[in-house]
Amino acid sequence: MTQKPNQRGATRESIKATQHHWPTRSAFQPGKYLRQHQATLTESFMRLLSYPLASVMTVMVIAIALSLPGGLYVLLKNVHSVTDQWEQQSVITLYLFPELEDTQALALSHRLSAQADIASVEYISKEEGLRYFERSSGYEQIMSSLPENPLPIVLRVIPKADVDVSTLPSLQALRDQLASQKEVDYAELDAQWLQRLANILSFGQRFVYALSVLLVVAVLLIVGNTIRMAVESRRNEVLVMKLVGATDAYIRRPFLYMGFWFGVLGGFFASLCILLLSWWVSSPAQRLIELYQSGLQLQTFNADEIVLCLTISAFVGVIGAWIAVSRHIANIELQ
Amino acid sequence: MEIEFQRVGKKYESGQEALSQVSFHLQQGEMAFLTGHSGAGKSTLMKLMMMIERQTSGQIIVDGVDLRTLSRRAIPQHRRRVGVVFQNHQLLFDRSVFHNVALPLQVSGADPQQIAKRVRAALDKVGLLDKEKYNPMALSGGEQQRVGIARAVVNKPQLLLADEPTGNLDPKLSAEIMNLFQEFNRVGVTVLVASHDLALVARMRHRVLTLSQGRMVSGGGFG
Repeated sequence: MTQKPNQRGATRESIKATQHHWPTRSAFQPGKYLRQHQATLTESFMRLLSYPLASVMTVMVIAIALSLPGGLYVLLKNVHSVTDQWEQQSVITLYLFPELEDTQALALSHRLSAQADIASVEYISKEEGLRYFERSSGYEQIMSSLPENPLPIVLRVIPKADVDVSTLPSLQALRDQLASQKEVDYAELDAQWLQRLANILSFGQRFVYALSVLLVVAVLLIVGNTIRMAVESRRNEVLVMKLVGATDAYIRRPFLYMGFWFGVLGGFFASLCILLLSWWVSSPAQRLIELYQSGLQLQTFNADEIVLCLTISAFVGVIGAWIAVSRHIANIELQ
Repeated sequence: MEIEFQRVGKKYESGQEALSQVSFHLQQGEMAFLTGHSGAGKSTLMKLMMMIERQTSGQIIVDGVDLRTLSRRAIPQHRRRVGVVFQNHQLLFDRSVFHNVALPLQVSGADPQQIAKRVRAALDKVGLLDKEKYNPMALSGGEQQRVGIARAVVNKPQLLLADEPTGNLDPKLSAEIMNLFQEFNRVGVTVLVASHDLALVARMRHRVLTLSQGRMVSGGGFG
Protein backbone atom coordinates (compact mmCIF):
# COMPACT_ATOMS: atom_id res chain seq x y z
CA MET A 1 0.00 0.00 0.00
CA THR A 2 1.28 3.49 -0.78
CA GLN A 3 1.31 6.64 1.29
CA LYS A 4 -2.01 8.47 1.42
CA PRO A 5 -1.64 11.81 3.15
CA ASN A 6 -5.24 12.80 2.40
CA GLN A 7 -6.58 9.78 4.14
CA ARG A 8 -4.44 10.53 7.14
CA GLY A 9 -5.77 14.08 7.23
CA ALA A 10 -9.34 12.89 7.02
CA THR A 11 -8.82 10.46 9.85
CA ARG A 12 -7.36 13.22 11.92
CA GLU A 13 -10.29 15.52 11.36
CA SER A 14 -12.74 12.82 12.32
CA ILE A 15 -11.38 12.67 15.86
CA LYS A 16 -13.06 15.83 17.06
CA ALA A 17 -13.27 14.72 20.66
CA THR A 18 -9.54 14.78 21.25
CA GLN A 19 -8.72 17.98 19.31
CA HIS A 20 -5.27 16.95 18.18
CA HIS A 21 -2.55 19.49 17.93
CA TRP A 22 0.39 17.80 16.26
CA PRO A 23 3.80 19.28 15.88
CA THR A 24 4.42 19.56 12.17
CA ARG A 25 7.67 18.58 10.59
CA SER A 26 7.78 21.07 7.77
CA ALA A 27 7.41 24.41 9.56
CA PHE A 28 10.80 25.87 10.47
CA GLN A 29 10.54 28.38 13.30
CA PRO A 30 13.76 30.36 13.83
CA GLY A 31 12.61 31.70 17.21
CA LYS A 32 11.96 28.24 18.56
CA TYR A 33 15.24 26.99 17.14
CA LEU A 34 17.29 29.76 18.74
CA ARG A 35 15.53 29.35 22.06
CA GLN A 36 16.35 25.63 22.05
CA HIS A 37 19.99 26.29 21.20
CA GLN A 38 20.41 28.93 23.85
CA ALA A 39 18.85 26.68 26.47
CA THR A 40 21.12 23.80 25.40
CA LEU A 41 24.22 26.01 25.54
CA THR A 42 23.52 26.90 29.16
CA GLU A 43 22.38 23.41 30.07
CA SER A 44 25.46 21.75 28.63
CA PHE A 45 27.70 24.10 30.62
CA MET A 46 25.79 23.18 33.79
CA ARG A 47 26.36 19.53 32.93
CA LEU A 48 30.11 20.12 32.90
CA LEU A 49 29.82 21.71 36.34
CA SER A 50 27.93 18.71 37.64
CA TYR A 51 31.06 16.58 37.11
CA PRO A 52 33.64 19.15 38.21
CA LEU A 53 36.64 16.87 38.67
CA ALA A 54 36.26 14.92 35.43
CA SER A 55 35.57 18.13 33.49
CA VAL A 56 38.56 19.96 34.95
CA MET A 57 40.81 17.03 34.13
CA THR A 58 39.61 16.82 30.54
CA VAL A 59 39.95 20.59 30.09
CA MET A 60 43.47 20.51 31.52
CA VAL A 61 44.59 17.64 29.29
CA ILE A 62 43.29 19.57 26.29
CA ALA A 63 44.99 22.76 27.53
CA ILE A 64 48.34 21.02 27.91
CA ALA A 65 48.04 19.29 24.56
CA LEU A 66 47.30 22.61 22.86
CA SER A 67 49.85 24.72 24.73
CA LEU A 68 52.74 22.61 23.45
CA PRO A 69 52.36 23.50 19.75
CA GLY A 70 51.22 26.99 20.78
CA GLY A 71 54.38 27.53 22.81
CA LEU A 72 56.59 26.26 19.99
CA TYR A 73 54.76 28.58 17.64
CA VAL A 74 55.59 31.55 19.87
CA LEU A 75 59.22 30.43 20.05
CA LEU A 76 59.40 30.18 16.27
CA LYS A 77 57.80 33.60 15.94
CA ASN A 78 60.53 35.10 18.14
CA VAL A 79 63.31 33.38 16.22
CA HIS A 80 61.79 34.79 13.03
CA SER A 81 61.65 38.31 14.40
CA VAL A 82 65.32 38.07 15.41
CA THR A 83 66.45 36.71 12.07
CA ASP A 84 64.39 39.33 10.21
CA GLN A 85 66.76 41.91 11.67
CA TRP A 86 69.90 39.92 10.94
CA GLU A 87 69.02 39.40 7.38
CA GLN A 88 69.32 43.06 6.46
CA GLN A 89 73.03 43.06 7.23
CA SER A 90 74.13 40.77 4.45
CA VAL A 91 76.86 42.07 2.17
CA ILE A 92 78.80 40.91 -0.82
CA THR A 93 82.52 41.19 -0.22
CA LEU A 94 84.71 41.66 -3.31
CA TYR A 95 88.42 40.78 -3.06
CA LEU A 96 90.17 42.53 -5.93
CA PHE A 97 93.37 41.31 -7.63
CA PRO A 98 96.37 42.38 -5.50
CA GLU A 99 98.21 43.95 -8.45
CA LEU A 100 95.30 46.34 -9.09
CA GLU A 101 95.99 50.06 -8.70
CA ASP A 102 93.98 52.23 -6.34
CA THR A 103 92.59 54.30 -9.18
CA GLN A 104 91.27 51.23 -11.00
CA ALA A 105 89.67 49.99 -7.81
CA LEU A 106 88.05 53.35 -7.15
CA ALA A 107 86.69 53.42 -10.68
CA LEU A 108 85.13 50.02 -10.14
CA SER A 109 83.69 51.21 -6.84
CA HIS A 110 82.04 54.19 -8.57
CA ARG A 111 80.76 52.04 -11.38
CA LEU A 112 79.17 49.60 -8.97
CA SER A 113 77.61 52.35 -6.83
CA ALA A 114 75.72 53.50 -9.90
CA GLN A 115 74.27 50.03 -10.46
CA ALA A 116 70.50 49.89 -9.85
CA ASP A 117 70.45 46.96 -7.44
CA ILE A 118 73.29 48.19 -5.26
CA ALA A 119 72.72 50.61 -2.38
CA SER A 120 76.29 51.48 -1.46
CA VAL A 121 79.87 50.37 -1.85
CA GLU A 122 82.43 50.67 0.92
CA TYR A 123 86.01 50.97 -0.17
CA ILE A 124 88.64 49.35 2.06
CA SER A 125 92.16 50.11 0.99
CA LYS A 126 95.11 47.77 1.54
CA GLU A 127 96.29 49.90 4.46
CA GLU A 128 92.91 49.99 6.11
CA GLY A 129 92.67 46.25 5.69
CA LEU A 130 96.06 45.76 7.29
CA ARG A 131 95.19 47.98 10.25
CA TYR A 132 91.94 46.14 10.73
CA PHE A 133 93.71 42.81 10.46
CA GLU A 134 96.35 43.78 12.99
CA ARG A 135 93.72 45.05 15.40
CA SER A 136 91.54 42.01 15.34
CA SER A 137 93.67 38.99 14.55
CA GLY A 138 96.53 39.23 17.01
CA TYR A 139 99.01 38.42 14.20
CA GLU A 140 100.73 41.81 14.58
CA GLN A 141 104.20 40.28 14.82
CA ILE A 142 103.84 38.17 11.75
CA MET A 143 102.25 41.00 9.78
CA SER A 144 104.98 43.43 10.61
CA SER A 145 107.63 40.90 9.72
CA LEU A 146 106.28 40.61 6.17
CA PRO A 147 108.20 42.59 3.53
CA GLU A 148 105.05 44.10 2.04
CA ASN A 149 101.30 44.25 2.64
CA PRO A 150 99.82 40.99 1.27
CA LEU A 151 96.19 42.11 1.52
CA PRO A 152 94.14 43.05 -1.55
CA ILE A 153 91.78 45.99 -1.89
CA VAL A 154 88.33 45.00 -0.62
CA LEU A 155 84.95 46.39 -1.69
CA ARG A 156 81.99 45.81 0.62
CA VAL A 157 78.94 45.93 -1.60
CA ILE A 158 75.59 46.44 0.13
CA PRO A 159 72.72 45.37 -2.15
CA LYS A 160 69.58 47.46 -2.38
CA ALA A 161 67.19 44.54 -2.02
CA ASP A 162 66.39 43.54 1.53
CA VAL A 163 68.23 40.37 2.01
CA ASP A 164 66.18 37.48 3.22
CA VAL A 165 65.34 33.95 2.33
CA SER A 166 63.14 34.94 -0.58
CA THR A 167 65.70 37.24 -2.21
CA LEU A 168 68.54 34.80 -1.78
CA PRO A 169 68.52 33.58 -5.43
CA SER A 170 68.66 37.11 -6.88
CA LEU A 171 71.51 37.91 -4.48
CA GLN A 172 73.45 34.92 -5.62
CA ALA A 173 72.93 36.12 -9.19
CA LEU A 174 74.30 39.53 -8.21
CA ARG A 175 77.30 37.86 -6.59
CA ASP A 176 78.01 35.95 -9.81
CA GLN A 177 77.71 39.12 -11.83
CA LEU A 178 80.18 40.90 -9.55
CA ALA A 179 82.57 37.95 -9.60
CA SER A 180 82.72 38.16 -13.37
CA GLN A 181 84.13 41.71 -13.27
CA LYS A 182 87.68 41.64 -14.55
CA GLU A 183 89.03 43.48 -11.47
CA VAL A 184 87.45 40.99 -9.05
CA ASP A 185 89.48 38.06 -7.86
CA TYR A 186 86.86 36.55 -5.60
CA ALA A 187 83.32 37.57 -4.58
CA GLU A 188 81.77 36.26 -1.42
CA LEU A 189 78.13 36.50 -0.53
CA ASP A 190 77.95 36.35 3.22
CA ALA A 191 74.81 34.26 3.02
CA GLN A 192 75.66 30.66 3.54
CA TRP A 193 74.64 30.97 7.14
CA LEU A 194 71.40 32.51 5.88
CA GLN A 195 70.79 29.47 3.73
CA ARG A 196 71.39 27.22 6.70
CA LEU A 197 69.20 29.31 8.94
CA ALA A 198 66.41 29.21 6.38
CA ASN A 199 66.68 25.43 6.32
CA ILE A 200 66.66 25.16 10.09
CA LEU A 201 63.66 27.48 10.31
CA SER A 202 61.65 25.58 7.74
CA PHE A 203 62.55 22.37 9.53
CA GLY A 204 61.35 23.92 12.79
CA GLN A 205 58.17 25.11 11.15
CA ARG A 206 57.35 21.69 9.76
CA PHE A 207 58.14 20.12 13.10
CA VAL A 208 55.66 22.46 14.79
CA TYR A 209 53.03 21.75 12.13
CA ALA A 210 53.41 18.00 12.45
CA LEU A 211 53.32 18.21 16.23
CA SER A 212 50.22 20.42 16.04
CA VAL A 213 48.43 17.93 13.82
CA LEU A 214 49.30 15.07 16.17
CA LEU A 215 48.19 16.95 19.25
CA VAL A 216 44.98 18.16 17.61
CA VAL A 217 44.20 14.52 16.82
CA ALA A 218 44.95 13.73 20.47
CA VAL A 219 42.50 16.44 21.57
CA LEU A 220 39.93 14.98 19.17
CA LEU A 221 40.33 11.59 20.84
CA ILE A 222 40.25 13.02 24.38
CA VAL A 223 37.05 14.96 23.71
CA GLY A 224 35.56 11.98 21.87
CA ASN A 225 36.27 9.64 24.74
CA THR A 226 34.94 12.01 27.39
CA ILE A 227 31.76 12.61 25.40
CA ARG A 228 31.31 8.91 24.77
CA MET A 229 31.42 8.33 28.52
CA ALA A 230 28.98 11.19 29.04
CA VAL A 231 26.56 9.57 26.59
CA GLU A 232 27.00 6.23 28.33
CA SER A 233 26.25 7.75 31.74
CA ARG A 234 23.07 9.26 30.30
CA ARG A 235 22.07 6.18 28.39
CA ASN A 236 18.70 5.92 30.07
CA GLU A 237 17.86 9.51 29.31
CA VAL A 238 18.86 9.07 25.67
CA LEU A 239 16.71 5.93 25.49
CA VAL A 240 13.63 7.63 26.92
CA MET A 241 14.08 10.70 24.73
CA LYS A 242 14.20 8.50 21.66
CA LEU A 243 11.05 6.69 22.76
CA VAL A 244 9.10 9.92 23.12
CA GLY A 245 10.12 11.05 19.63
CA ALA A 246 13.33 13.05 19.99
CA THR A 247 15.28 13.36 16.76
CA ASP A 248 18.93 12.26 16.73
CA ALA A 249 19.90 15.90 16.17
CA TYR A 250 18.03 16.94 19.30
CA ILE A 251 19.75 14.27 21.40
CA ARG A 252 23.12 15.02 19.86
CA ARG A 253 22.94 18.76 20.49
CA PRO A 254 23.75 18.95 24.23
CA PHE A 255 26.74 16.64 23.68
CA LEU A 256 28.03 18.76 20.82
CA TYR A 257 27.78 21.81 23.04
CA MET A 258 29.63 19.90 25.72
CA GLY A 259 32.42 19.30 23.18
CA PHE A 260 32.29 22.99 22.34
CA TRP A 261 32.77 23.95 26.00
CA PHE A 262 35.63 21.48 26.44
CA GLY A 263 37.31 22.97 23.37
CA VAL A 264 36.80 26.60 24.34
CA LEU A 265 37.88 26.10 27.94
CA GLY A 266 40.86 23.98 26.85
CA GLY A 267 41.87 26.68 24.35
CA PHE A 268 41.46 29.36 26.98
CA PHE A 269 43.71 27.63 29.47
CA ALA A 270 46.22 26.79 26.74
CA SER A 271 46.42 30.49 25.87
CA LEU A 272 46.80 31.29 29.55
CA CYS A 273 49.63 28.73 29.84
CA ILE A 274 51.45 30.25 26.88
CA LEU A 275 51.08 33.79 28.25
CA LEU A 276 52.37 32.68 31.66
CA LEU A 277 55.23 30.77 30.09
CA SER A 278 56.24 33.73 27.91
CA TRP A 279 56.15 35.98 30.95
CA TRP A 280 58.27 33.52 32.90
CA VAL A 281 61.01 33.26 30.26
CA SER A 282 60.79 36.92 29.25
CA SER A 283 63.58 38.35 31.42
CA PRO A 284 66.34 35.85 30.55
CA ALA A 285 65.20 35.89 26.93
CA GLN A 286 65.27 39.68 26.85
CA ARG A 287 68.84 39.65 28.18
CA LEU A 288 69.80 37.11 25.54
CA ILE A 289 68.28 39.28 22.82
CA GLU A 290 70.10 42.35 24.11
CA LEU A 291 73.40 40.52 23.75
CA TYR A 292 72.88 40.31 20.01
CA GLN A 293 70.67 43.17 19.10
CA SER A 294 69.08 46.05 20.91
CA GLY A 295 65.55 47.37 20.52
CA LEU A 296 63.95 44.00 19.89
CA GLN A 297 60.74 43.20 21.72
CA LEU A 298 59.98 39.68 22.95
CA GLN A 299 56.85 38.43 21.18
CA THR A 300 54.07 36.51 22.87
CA PHE A 301 50.51 35.38 22.00
CA ASN A 302 48.61 38.41 20.69
CA ALA A 303 44.83 38.89 20.68
CA ASP A 304 44.39 37.54 17.14
CA GLU A 305 46.31 34.40 17.97
CA ILE A 306 44.30 33.84 21.15
CA VAL A 307 41.08 34.14 19.14
CA LEU A 308 42.48 31.73 16.54
CA CYS A 309 43.51 29.27 19.26
CA LEU A 310 40.02 29.40 20.82
CA THR A 311 38.33 28.99 17.43
CA ILE A 312 40.44 25.99 16.49
CA SER A 313 39.99 24.32 19.87
CA ALA A 314 36.22 24.93 19.90
CA PHE A 315 35.98 23.49 16.40
CA VAL A 316 38.05 20.45 17.34
CA GLY A 317 35.89 19.96 20.44
CA VAL A 318 32.68 19.95 18.42
CA ILE A 319 34.13 17.58 15.79
CA GLY A 320 35.40 15.21 18.48
CA ALA A 321 31.98 15.18 20.14
CA TRP A 322 30.26 14.64 16.80
CA ILE A 323 32.36 11.60 15.96
CA ALA A 324 31.79 10.08 19.41
CA VAL A 325 28.09 10.80 19.60
CA SER A 326 26.72 10.01 16.16
CA ARG A 327 27.40 6.31 16.12
CA HIS A 328 26.78 5.85 19.80
CA ILE A 329 23.31 7.41 19.84
CA ALA A 330 22.13 5.35 16.88
CA ASN A 331 22.95 2.19 18.84
CA ILE A 332 20.92 3.05 21.92
CA GLU A 333 17.47 1.51 21.58
CA LEU A 334 15.08 -0.30 23.88
CA GLN A 335 16.20 -3.90 24.22
CA MET B 1 -5.22 5.82 14.81
CA GLU B 2 -5.99 2.82 12.68
CA ILE B 3 -3.58 -0.10 12.63
CA GLU B 4 -3.44 -3.07 10.34
CA PHE B 5 -0.97 -5.97 10.53
CA GLN B 6 -0.87 -8.12 7.39
CA ARG B 7 0.96 -11.43 7.79
CA VAL B 8 3.73 -9.75 9.75
CA GLY B 9 6.81 -11.77 10.62
CA LYS B 10 9.89 -10.91 12.63
CA LYS B 11 12.89 -13.14 12.43
CA TYR B 12 16.05 -12.15 14.30
CA GLU B 13 19.49 -12.58 12.84
CA SER B 14 20.10 -15.35 15.33
CA GLY B 15 17.39 -17.30 13.46
CA GLN B 16 14.85 -17.00 16.27
CA GLU B 17 11.38 -16.29 14.92
CA ALA B 18 9.58 -13.90 17.30
CA LEU B 19 6.47 -13.36 15.17
CA SER B 20 5.11 -15.16 12.15
CA GLN B 21 2.10 -14.49 9.96
CA VAL B 22 0.51 -12.12 12.45
CA SER B 23 -2.57 -10.35 11.10
CA PHE B 24 -5.04 -8.13 12.89
CA HIS B 25 -6.82 -4.83 12.47
CA LEU B 26 -7.35 -2.24 15.17
CA GLN B 27 -10.05 0.27 14.29
CA GLN B 28 -9.73 3.95 14.91
CA GLY B 29 -10.73 4.58 18.55
CA GLU B 30 -10.78 0.89 19.48
CA MET B 31 -9.42 -0.59 22.70
CA ALA B 32 -7.95 -4.09 22.79
CA PHE B 33 -5.79 -6.33 24.93
CA LEU B 34 -2.84 -8.37 23.81
CA THR B 35 -2.18 -11.48 25.87
CA GLY B 36 0.03 -14.48 25.75
CA HIS B 37 2.79 -16.13 27.76
CA SER B 38 6.06 -14.37 28.20
CA GLY B 39 8.08 -14.96 25.06
CA ALA B 40 4.94 -15.22 22.92
CA GLY B 41 5.93 -12.05 21.03
CA LYS B 42 3.94 -9.30 22.80
CA SER B 43 6.92 -7.02 23.30
CA THR B 44 8.17 -7.61 19.77
CA LEU B 45 4.77 -6.62 18.41
CA MET B 46 4.85 -3.42 20.48
CA LYS B 47 8.38 -2.66 19.24
CA LEU B 48 7.29 -3.03 15.63
CA MET B 49 4.49 -0.53 16.24
CA MET B 50 6.99 1.89 17.80
CA MET B 51 9.45 1.28 14.96
CA ILE B 52 12.07 0.28 17.51
CA GLU B 53 12.44 -2.78 15.33
CA ARG B 54 11.38 -3.48 11.74
CA GLN B 55 9.43 -6.48 10.59
CA THR B 56 11.15 -8.97 8.31
CA SER B 57 8.01 -9.85 6.36
CA GLY B 58 4.45 -8.63 5.86
CA GLN B 59 3.03 -5.13 6.16
CA ILE B 60 2.17 -2.84 9.04
CA ILE B 61 -0.20 -0.09 7.95
CA VAL B 62 -0.81 2.85 10.27
CA ASP B 63 -3.49 5.32 9.13
CA GLY B 64 -3.02 4.13 5.59
CA VAL B 65 0.76 4.45 5.64
CA ASP B 66 2.97 1.40 5.23
CA LEU B 67 5.62 1.71 7.94
CA ARG B 68 8.18 0.19 5.58
CA THR B 69 8.00 3.35 3.47
CA LEU B 70 9.10 5.51 6.41
CA SER B 71 12.81 6.27 6.60
CA ARG B 72 14.88 6.35 9.77
CA ARG B 73 14.49 10.12 9.84
CA ALA B 74 10.71 9.81 9.98
CA ILE B 75 10.74 7.63 13.10
CA PRO B 76 10.70 10.49 15.67
CA GLN B 77 7.60 11.97 13.99
CA HIS B 78 5.90 8.57 14.12
CA ARG B 79 6.74 8.13 17.80
CA ARG B 80 5.30 11.53 18.68
CA ARG B 81 1.92 10.24 17.57
CA VAL B 82 2.19 7.16 19.79
CA GLY B 83 2.17 7.23 23.58
CA VAL B 84 3.85 4.31 25.35
CA VAL B 85 3.64 3.04 28.91
CA PHE B 86 6.20 0.49 30.10
CA GLN B 87 6.12 -2.00 32.89
CA ASN B 88 9.27 -0.48 34.40
CA HIS B 89 7.89 2.95 33.49
CA GLN B 90 11.30 4.29 32.31
CA LEU B 91 11.14 7.44 34.40
CA LEU B 92 14.20 9.62 34.86
CA PHE B 93 15.17 10.07 38.47
CA ASP B 94 17.39 13.10 37.91
CA ARG B 95 14.39 15.40 37.46
CA SER B 96 10.99 16.15 38.92
CA VAL B 97 7.67 14.55 38.01
CA PHE B 98 6.83 17.71 36.07
CA HIS B 99 9.95 17.47 33.91
CA ASN B 100 9.46 13.77 33.31
CA VAL B 101 6.01 14.41 31.93
CA ALA B 102 7.23 17.46 29.98
CA LEU B 103 9.86 15.44 28.07
CA PRO B 104 7.75 14.53 24.98
CA LEU B 105 6.74 18.18 24.59
CA GLN B 106 10.31 19.43 25.06
CA VAL B 107 11.72 17.16 22.39
CA SER B 108 9.12 18.37 19.91
CA GLY B 109 10.06 21.97 20.70
CA ALA B 110 6.80 23.22 22.25
CA ASP B 111 6.98 26.61 23.93
CA PRO B 112 7.38 26.63 27.74
CA GLN B 113 3.93 28.09 28.56
CA GLN B 114 2.22 25.49 26.40
CA ILE B 115 4.32 22.79 28.08
CA ALA B 116 3.33 23.87 31.60
CA LYS B 117 -0.35 23.94 30.66
CA ARG B 118 -0.35 20.52 29.03
CA VAL B 119 1.79 18.86 31.73
CA ARG B 120 -0.59 20.05 34.47
CA ALA B 121 -3.59 18.87 32.46
CA ALA B 122 -2.01 15.41 32.05
CA LEU B 123 -1.04 15.19 35.74
CA ASP B 124 -4.56 16.25 36.66
CA LYS B 125 -5.99 13.41 34.58
CA VAL B 126 -3.92 10.82 36.45
CA GLY B 127 -4.58 12.51 39.81
CA LEU B 128 -1.02 13.63 40.57
CA LEU B 129 -1.31 17.38 40.15
CA ASP B 130 -0.11 17.97 43.72
CA LYS B 131 3.06 15.92 43.17
CA GLU B 132 4.57 17.73 40.20
CA LYS B 133 7.60 18.96 42.14
CA TYR B 134 8.44 15.53 43.62
CA ASN B 135 11.22 13.31 42.42
CA PRO B 136 9.57 10.19 40.97
CA MET B 137 11.77 8.11 43.26
CA ALA B 138 9.74 9.45 46.21
CA LEU B 139 6.48 8.09 44.75
CA SER B 140 4.86 4.70 45.19
CA GLY B 141 4.84 2.10 42.42
CA GLY B 142 1.28 2.92 41.40
CA GLU B 143 2.03 6.64 41.36
CA GLN B 144 5.15 6.10 39.28
CA GLN B 145 3.10 4.16 36.78
CA ARG B 146 0.60 7.02 36.62
CA VAL B 147 3.46 9.47 35.95
CA GLY B 148 4.44 7.15 33.08
CA ILE B 149 0.87 7.32 31.78
CA ALA B 150 0.77 11.11 32.09
CA ARG B 151 3.97 11.26 30.03
CA ALA B 152 2.47 8.92 27.43
CA VAL B 153 -0.65 11.05 26.95
CA VAL B 154 0.77 14.58 27.39
CA ASN B 155 1.36 14.83 23.65
CA LYS B 156 -2.29 13.83 22.98
CA PRO B 157 -1.25 10.76 21.01
CA GLN B 158 -3.58 8.99 18.60
CA LEU B 159 -2.41 5.60 19.80
CA LEU B 160 -1.64 4.52 23.35
CA LEU B 161 0.47 1.39 23.80
CA ALA B 162 1.02 -0.19 27.19
CA ASP B 163 3.42 -3.07 27.79
CA GLU B 164 2.49 -4.87 31.01
CA PRO B 165 1.47 -1.62 32.72
CA THR B 166 0.18 -3.41 35.80
CA GLY B 167 2.96 -5.96 36.06
CA ASN B 168 4.14 -4.93 39.51
CA LEU B 169 0.91 -3.58 40.95
CA ASP B 170 -1.71 -5.06 43.26
CA PRO B 171 -5.21 -5.80 41.85
CA LYS B 172 -6.83 -2.60 43.13
CA LEU B 173 -4.12 -0.35 41.61
CA SER B 174 -4.19 -2.42 38.43
CA ALA B 175 -7.92 -1.83 38.05
CA GLU B 176 -7.37 1.91 38.54
CA ILE B 177 -4.72 1.99 35.84
CA MET B 178 -6.97 0.06 33.46
CA ASN B 179 -9.79 2.49 34.13
CA LEU B 180 -7.47 5.33 33.17
CA PHE B 181 -6.79 3.67 29.83
CA GLN B 182 -10.49 3.24 29.30
CA GLU B 183 -11.03 6.95 29.89
CA PHE B 184 -8.49 7.88 27.25
CA ASN B 185 -10.13 5.41 24.89
CA ARG B 186 -13.48 7.09 25.51
CA VAL B 187 -12.16 10.39 24.07
CA GLY B 188 -11.10 8.69 20.86
CA VAL B 189 -7.58 7.37 21.46
CA THR B 190 -6.85 3.90 20.08
CA VAL B 191 -5.52 1.78 22.97
CA LEU B 192 -3.63 -1.50 22.95
CA VAL B 193 -2.62 -3.01 26.28
CA ALA B 194 -0.29 -6.00 26.52
CA SER B 195 -0.96 -7.97 29.68
CA HIS B 196 -0.70 -11.53 30.93
CA ASP B 197 -3.18 -10.82 33.74
CA LEU B 198 -6.01 -12.82 32.16
CA ALA B 199 -8.50 -12.26 34.98
CA LEU B 200 -8.17 -8.51 34.73
CA VAL B 201 -8.34 -8.62 30.94
CA ALA B 202 -11.53 -10.69 31.07
CA ARG B 203 -13.22 -8.18 33.39
CA MET B 204 -12.52 -5.28 31.05
CA ARG B 205 -14.76 -6.62 28.24
CA HIS B 206 -12.68 -5.52 25.27
CA ARG B 207 -11.38 -7.44 22.32
CA VAL B 208 -8.54 -9.78 23.28
CA LEU B 209 -5.73 -10.66 20.88
CA THR B 210 -3.86 -13.76 21.95
CA LEU B 211 -0.34 -14.59 20.86
CA SER B 212 1.24 -17.96 21.26
CA GLN B 213 4.76 -18.76 20.10
CA GLY B 214 4.73 -15.82 17.72
CA ARG B 215 1.37 -16.59 16.13
CA MET B 216 -1.96 -14.86 16.58
CA VAL B 217 -4.17 -17.65 17.88
CA SER B 218 -7.35 -15.72 18.60
CA GLY B 219 -8.94 -12.27 18.23
CA GLY B 220 -7.08 -11.47 15.01
CA GLY B 221 -10.17 -10.79 12.90
CA PHE B 222 -11.92 -7.48 12.51
CA GLY B 223 -13.18 -6.22 15.85
